[in-house]
Amino acid sequence: MPRIPAPSDKEVISRLERLATKILNMIEKSAPPYLEIPVRSLSNTIWDEEKKILRLGPQRATREFFDLKESKKFMQTLLMLSLIVKARRENDYPTIRDLYYMGKHTIVYKDHLGRRCTEETWYDQRESNSVIQDIEVATGLLREHMGIMHDAKGKIVGNIVVRSKGYLIDCSRMGSGAYAIPPNPDRLEIAKVEADYVLCVEKDAIFERLNEEEFWRRENCILVTGKGQPDRSTRRMIRRLWEEFGLPVYILTDCDSYGFYIYSVYRSGSISLSYESERLATPGAKFIGVTVSDIEEYKIPKNYIIAATDRDLKRAQELLNYPWFKSEKWQRELKLFLRKKQKIEIEALSGHGFKFLSHVYLPEKISKKKWIE
Amino acid sequence: MPLTDDMLLREYKGLSPAEFFYRNKEIAGFSNPTRAVYQTIRELVENALDATELYRILPDIKILVNLRNNNGAEFVEITVEDNGIGIPRHEVPNVFGRVFYGSKYKLRQSRGVFGLGVKMAVLYAQITTGKPIYVRSSTPYSCSIYEYEILIDITANRPIVLNHRIYKKRRRWHGTVVKLTIQGNWSSAKRRVEEYIKRTAMITPYANIYFKAPDLEISFKRVTRKLPSLPIESKPHPHGVDLEMLKAMISPLEENLTLREFLITRFDSIGETTADNFCKWAGFSPSIKVKKLDLKDLTLLMSKMKEYNRWRRPRGRALSPLGTELLKKGIEETLHPEFTTAVTRKPSSYSGNPFIVEVALAWGGKIPTSDKPILYRFANKIPLLYDEGADVSRKIVDSIDWSYYKVKFPAPLAIVIHICSTKLPFKGVGKEAIADVVEIEREIENAIKEAARRLRAHLVRIEKIYELKKKKITFEKYIPEVSRALSEICRVKEEYIREKLLTIMNRILEKRGSKEVMIYAQDPGAKR
Repeated sequence: MPRIPAPSDKEVISRLERLATKILNMIEKSAPPYLEIPVRSLSNTIWDEEKKILRLGPQRATREFFDLKESKKFMQTLLMLSLIVKARRENDYPTIRDLYYMGKHTIVYKDHLGRRCTEETWYDQRESNSVIQDIEVATGLLREHMGIMHDAKGKIVGNIVVRSKGYLIDCSRMGSGAYAIPPNPDRLEIAKVEADYVLCVEKDAIFERLNEEEFWRRENCILVTGKGQPDRSTRRMIRRLWEEFGLPVYILTDCDSYGFYIYSVYRSGSISLSYESERLATPGAKFIGVTVSDIEEYKIPKNYIIAATDRDLKRAQELLNYPWFKSEKWQRELKLFLRKKQKIEIEALSGHGFKFLSHVYLPEKISKKKWIE
Repeated sequence: MPLTDDMLLREYKGLSPAEFFYRNKEIAGFSNPTRAVYQTIRELVENALDATELYRILPDIKILVNLRNNNGAEFVEITVEDNGIGIPRHEVPNVFGRVFYGSKYKLRQSRGVFGLGVKMAVLYAQITTGKPIYVRSSTPYSCSIYEYEILIDITANRPIVLNHRIYKKRRRWHGTVVKLTIQGNWSSAKRRVEEYIKRTAMITPYANIYFKAPDLEISFKRVTRKLPSLPIESKPHPHGVDLEMLKAMISPLEENLTLREFLITRFDSIGETTADNFCKWAGFSPSIKVKKLDLKDLTLLMSKMKEYNRWRRPRGRALSPLGTELLKKGIEETLHPEFTTAVTRKPSSYSGNPFIVEVALAWGGKIPTSDKPILYRFANKIPLLYDEGADVSRKIVDSIDWSYYKVKFPAPLAIVIHICSTKLPFKGVGKEAIADVVEIEREIENAIKEAARRLRAHLVRIEKIYELKKKKITFEKYIPEVSRALSEICRVKEEYIREKLLTIMNRILEKRGSKEVMIYAQDPGAKR
């Protein structure tokens, strides 16, 4: 799979400016201005069978300024575009929250009865985040390229050395802590990797436990957590380790529909960010557990088994229909889940002792290749 | 079948008319002290309007209410003054003191026919307070003004004149002043009376109406000097006859008048051919003398006249609708709506009685928002305030699917329905609700629908204007933001971009709405 080079700052600025210039040209020709933006929704999300990733489809929508329903969104998009261009020109690295506050201000106007009214450019960070994503798809630039940061929550520890701003960071010498994956991992240089595989766990608590007993040292691996639904930088980091160093990637989540979906986000990408899958998804990622069949196979004590809720079952039903869950093993697992209506957390494995997970379950799963793809 | 005065009278043949009404005062609307106040004012005001309008005089009506405490009982003194034609001096006692005195079987639209109502009020005053009716009147050509105080001799049905004075007329005055003192309950009647006065003003925009009570003063100035067309007295239509009427029509005739001549000369819409055709069809000899017909013959004649379906339709000449212009004026002055439209239908008829339906719809402005259309009913220019639920108009209004006309309730919609006829089909004897007569129902429905279509067009236009306004406000709100952003990115003057965008906006909005709509939209202070 070809690597995607990050564009230079100059290229980034010129692509952002081009979007604005197109609008200006329409206005100068006295034509009603519009933006052309690829559609970001499930209907325009395509499962790329060959690459095993979710991709953005070909649907594009025009966002017209002189359309009552789209006018505000159009304004917001240009407002955000100007903020990003300004930050790039001044070499600033705002977070998405910074951008929300920088763009938020009050518009004063008169309503149809001549009364003085006010309106905020946006009321909620979801609105500003949404136009950032629109600008990403409209320009083909990722927000990391545009120097936009976010609260990165991923952590990494293990036999890996990275270089950031000239400093070498040895992730095997973090003590009880871990290295926080930065918002744009592409700016990291991965200096040295001496590991056999990457284990990515859903839950921070499990990550901490495994780190405390230095599981990664014993197993010679790299340990990562995305703390639940992974953010872009965590996914990008995993992707780089898989792509650039050929490391096998194993995903460990709770045994429920949400855990299964988290796995699929690492592996294939998410619906809302399908335009980034080319860069973020790790098609080689394997689901190591916890599986529904583990409940019986590892004789999970009854008091650890939880009844699945209606929401769990509904979500599982949806997963069953996603093309990226169509493999034989997944279909069997999901159907088993729907039939047994049982779920368990990773912690349920502690029913056999605290070391069961690190000393028995994980090594056995990996050595016996008991995973699902 | 509605109970008519005639039928009731026949039941009680032994009684004098005065005695009969005395015993049946509820029928005439004097059922309780509250209703009695309302009814007395109504009777006097309607006589006053008939005395002016029917003689092409622009009405000036003054109504005064005074309260007197009489050993704990509330005496209500009601005075109504008009500038009408007046009553000839010698007629005054009979006009106010003899029940069933008056011109019978003159067919034209007026508010009262026999003047029964006012005599009922006189009787009511007499039995509750013992006070006579006071009348002052003068006709335009009389050189004197005369005053009377009259009571009714109930058993003999005869006026008793208590006082009678004559003055020389010093200034040019004509008209009638009537004063009655009844026992009543003013405070509970007040709201009805107020509503009655307002509605009367609505239907008579050419009248000055002044009302004063100790705690209420209302004044309506005329907004037009145009009077509705005068109804022309006409002969009865053969479909509308009944046995009593036939007998009464025949009794003053000459001995040798033939049936054919009788039909041609005494009925509306019968010519020579029609008379002959009818006689042939009904099996009557055209040359038979009408005076020779016995009761059996007359009964047959009557039923045949009702049955015959080839009479020409009665004409509307005897009717006096208000007309769309006056109707709209009256509504605009009293309800202050944003939009008014009125429809006056062509004359139609039921059982030989001509009638005309007029409907007006008023929307918005000061009309309060309500879950149902607010209904204002009028019959021969008389406001109907009671028994709305039983009225045919309410039934039709409620049966209409208003959403088809873009009206979503609650909405500020008022409907005015005026029915005029030489004979109104009242439901029951209260004379406050019109009965469900198919022909009238159809006319009301058609009139409402015609008016509603115009209301719909208005609402669509308003909606369009509102839509355009909303667009303009939205675009104008965001243009500065877009201009600033573009100017920062592209390093072009903000002002330049803003001007360009405003030009594009105006072009787009103009394309979507007519010029008139744009003017409307540009002035947010304009009356909606």
